[in-house]
Amino acid sequence: MKKSFLIIRANIQKAKGQTIAMILLILLAAMMLNLWLMLSTDYKENFRRTHEQLHDSHVTLMVCSREEGVTKLLKERLLEDARTKQICMTPVLWATAAIPYNDGVASCESFFLPKDTALGREVGRIEILEESSGSGVYLPMLYGGDNHRVGDTITFSFGGEELSLVVRGYFNSPMAGSHNCAVTAFVVTEDVYQELSQKPYMYPSTLASVRIADEAHSQEYEAMAKNVISVDYPDVRAISNSYTMVTQSRYISQSTCSGIISAMAFFILLIALVVIASNVSNYIRENMKNLGALKAVGYTGRQLVGILLGQFVGIALVTASAGTGLSYLLFPAVNEMMIAQTGIPYQLRFLLLPCLVTLGLTGASVGLAVWLSARRIKRIEPITALRQGIRTHSFKRNHLPLEKTHGPLNLSLGMKATCAGLWQNVTVCITMLVLSLVIAFSGLMWRNMMVDIKPFTDLIVGETADSCLNVNSAREQEFLTALEKNDCVEKVYLYHSVELRHVGGLALTANLSDDFSKVNNPGVVFEGRCPKYDNEIAIAAKYAREQGLAIGDEIVMTAGGQEAAYLITGFTQISNHLGKDCLLTRSGYQRLGELPNVSYYINVKPEIDVDVFNEDMTKQFPGEINAAFNIQTVMDGTSAVYVSMMRTIVVAVLILSVCIVAFVLYLLVRTMLNSKKRDYGIMKALGFTTGQLVCQTALSFMPAMVLSLAVGLTVSALSINSLTALFLREIGIVKCNFLVPTGFIAIAGICLALVAFGLACLLSMKIRKIAPRVLLTEGGV
Amino acid sequence: MKEILLKTEGLSKSFSNGGLMQHVLKNIDLELYRGDFTVIMGASGAGKSTLLYALSGMDTPTLGQITFGQDVISALNSDQLAVFRRRHCGFVFQQIYLIEGMSVMDNVLAAGLLVNRDRKALVKQAQELFEAVGISRQIQKKFPTQLSGGEAQRAGIVRALINNPEILFADEPTGALNSSTGLEVLDTLSACNRRGQSVVMVTHDMRSARRGNRILYLKDGSVLGECDLGRYEHGDMARHEKLTAFLKEMGW
Repeated sequence: MKKSFLIIRANIQKAKGQTIAMILLILLAAMMLNLWLMLSTDYKENFRRTHEQLHDSHVTLMVCSREEGVTKLLKERLLEDARTKQICMTPVLWATAAIPYNDGVASCESFFLPKDTALGREVGRIEILEESSGSGVYLPMLYGGDNHRVGDTITFSFGGEELSLVVRGYFNSPMAGSHNCAVTAFVVTEDVYQELSQKPYMYPSTLASVRIADEAHSQEYEAMAKNVISVDYPDVRAISNSYTMVTQSRYISQSTCSGIISAMAFFILLIALVVIASNVSNYIRENMKNLGALKAVGYTGRQLVGILLGQFVGIALVTASAGTGLSYLLFPAVNEMMIAQTGIPYQLRFLLLPCLVTLGLTGASVGLAVWLSARRIKRIEPITALRQGIRTHSFKRNHLPLEKTHGPLNLSLGMKATCAGLWQNVTVCITMLVLSLVIAFSGLMWRNMMVDIKPFTDLIVGETADSCLNVNSAREQEFLTALEKNDCVEKVYLYHSVELRHVGGLALTANLSDDFSKVNNPGVVFEGRCPKYDNEIAIAAKYAREQGLAIGDEIVMTAGGQEAAYLITGFTQISNHLGKDCLLTRSGYQRLGELPNVSYYINVKPEIDVDVFNEDMTKQFPGEINAAFNIQTVMDGTSAVYVSMMRTIVVAVLILSVCIVAFVLYLLVRTMLNSKKRDYGIMKALGFTTGQLVCQTALSFMPAMVLSLAVGLTVSALSINSLTALFLREIGIVKCNFLVPTGFIAIAGICLALVAFGLACLLSMKIRKIAPRVLLTEGGV
Repeated sequence: MKEILLKTEGLSKSFSNGGLMQHVLKNIDLELYRGDFTVIMGASGAGKSTLLYALSGMDTPTLGQITFGQDVISALNSDQLAVFRRRHCGFVFQQIYLIEGMSVMDNVLAAGLLVNRDRKALVKQAQELFEAVGISRQIQKKFPTQLSGGEAQRAGIVRALINNPEILFADEPTGALNSSTGLEVLDTLSACNRRGQSVVMVTHDMRSARRGNRILYLKDGSVLGECDLGRYEHGDMARHEKLTAFLKEMGW
């Protein structure tokens, strides 16, 4: 044991640089592995914990009525359902509100309730996180921080009306704490509640919060609950959410971020394993005589492999422990980024399971890589190894004979070195293929989120325009005539969202239009076509897959107690509704019921201020316009979180890529310098300068690098949309048509190759320390 | 009057060995002449190889000056020394030092292409040199580890001569060879010298030393004495006696 330890110590001392670089790679991999495990396990579990702690609902239903008949029927029906465990029904005020958020606005279906009521609800109570005394409003945690500080005044927009309130604090509510929840809670002091009760834009409503036996059935239960209202009270508006939907929508950034981190973690681990395997191989080659000597004095092959296993797995485990620790240091920054989207506070604590999995995975994979590459030690015959070592050159072929190869000498010699270095080429290829994917993904995000966000919003939001005005149907014709005469307007079309239910399925958000050829983003339907006739429907591809529906199938929808069958003409993808949406023509919807109000999307001329336009229209139709949105500011508000997160990720990933290239090259160059020290000495003696040898060394990495970059970038550019779709499938995206920035990808690839060449040159500068006299002093090196 | 090819003035070389300074060469003043076959002899540790490497620009002196023609090579930096070596020097090592990953021909061309970019002419010249030392085309395609010691050393001599060096340095060229292959290598070096090639050889072998026309004897880092043997002729017994007497005088 002691002897083994001495050998391990000697091995490490002999290759200090390589050991340090390997440690850094494993450190990074372990850190990211643990971070990913923390995010994908406990971080999401935090939602369930908070949900349980606050005894929150599994289904929330907000009904725009306080009539006894409506509330009684709802309560009876819900209690009749065997899945129901507990119900809490509370009178609230409902309004469609917009609040300033991240340099834009957040538009949400909001309910307002007094603080004492909110704190005392049996199901779905809130938790106050910070407060100050006085009259005002408490905001969900999501809108706190830099958006609205305690003591600031926040202005709510309700259609054309505005209301300013003082922010008195923040609260936590898993099921109603974000505009991503479908219903958003705002808690007010009693006096403010009384004041709001008098406002015409506040609808006295009932909030039903239900806990069910199995949260996995929350979506089906939600559809059933909504149906209760729509069948008997078709004119009563209802809006709802479910546990399943909220967990998905509030954790989009967590899913995205943990997905990217896990991909990077496994990529880095893979690179580390290739590098370790390469190092073990080189170690065996360089120490053949020592290994022979050890075998000669009685060490068995198993013992020698065991020593290497002990050395590398030991280093991996210690390093992985440090990496796990490092992930806890990094976690607060990641947590802050996540909370900006989830709005649910997370308290960092030590997590044993992710830690064990990280250690186990790192140790086992390193062990396997070492064992696979060290097995051949068992076959070494001591006498063969002692006499001359095992020659690694196959002598089958003299690659690129100088006699016939044209071109500069340094290039020719560099290419010869490339042909001779199998492990070197494999390591470079795997690293570059991985980094090609990283570059393509970064380029895609940069082009479609940072340079021009339209492709991203087209995919995520679906339909966008400049303005959205919701008007009472009674004044619709007059409203349209006014818009036709308005010089500011370029295009007007109906685009209205209502809730429907698929009979035998779930509740879906239906987007209605008179004519889908008028919409700005026809790409929402990515397969098949938009509905044209009243018996046609296009449905979300994710939902269709889950339900086993195909284009041409018939589907029965229900709303307001009516049912109608529709033919599926196409598949949509809008992540806004997490893959639970459909498109219908207006006439198609009218088979189920009439629209009490309608939303029109309007494109205004470029020079027109949308806010001014909205204000003018609201004034022109006082009391008739229920909501007016500047769509761009709404998108700015909601997309800012994702853009900021993606920017951080892209920058981090690119920096990480350069670091990985540097580590890998360092390891390869050091290995090459060690194994070719004798050759470098000879070449220096023959008259090669340091510059020439540095150039040859760096050039020897370039063919594998350039080739794998070219192949990797081409394949990545061609497949990045499919991979991104795979990545986003949880939020309803099936097919991505993001613009692939080929120029960016090509330039980034060239830059990476140049950086790598520069780094290889820089790292090879150690050659200058190899003097020809080593031939003299070391007597054969 | 012989033309001075290489000249040293006050040449000293010291190494630090565990904190102790070891003075390997001490204040050597020496002139080497064009066309000579100079042999440096001495006991182990006398500084023979150190002197050879210093003279050839492979190592830099601690003190003193080395002049090649008009150029003070002891003042050159490592890259300038590399250029000096490729243009003016050829090397034959005891351990041969062919690059294992390259064929014999590539070993020669790698050195040749540093100076001469006319690949065709270079290949032709290499073929002629290979022929002169008795290395067939088949052997030229082999890798160094597939050669016998004699073949490898003769390939090393071809590599050393490919750039038509003004001076050929040989460090114990027969040290790692058996008697018959050693003789082949010495014959090759003698033939080169007969064609006008200046040779400086380090050896501690009497049989090898006989090939030189000028013998320098090193002891404790200083040139203790020198002996002029005249041009080498095969079977010249008087030369052998003269060398024996010289070495005896030197305390060999």
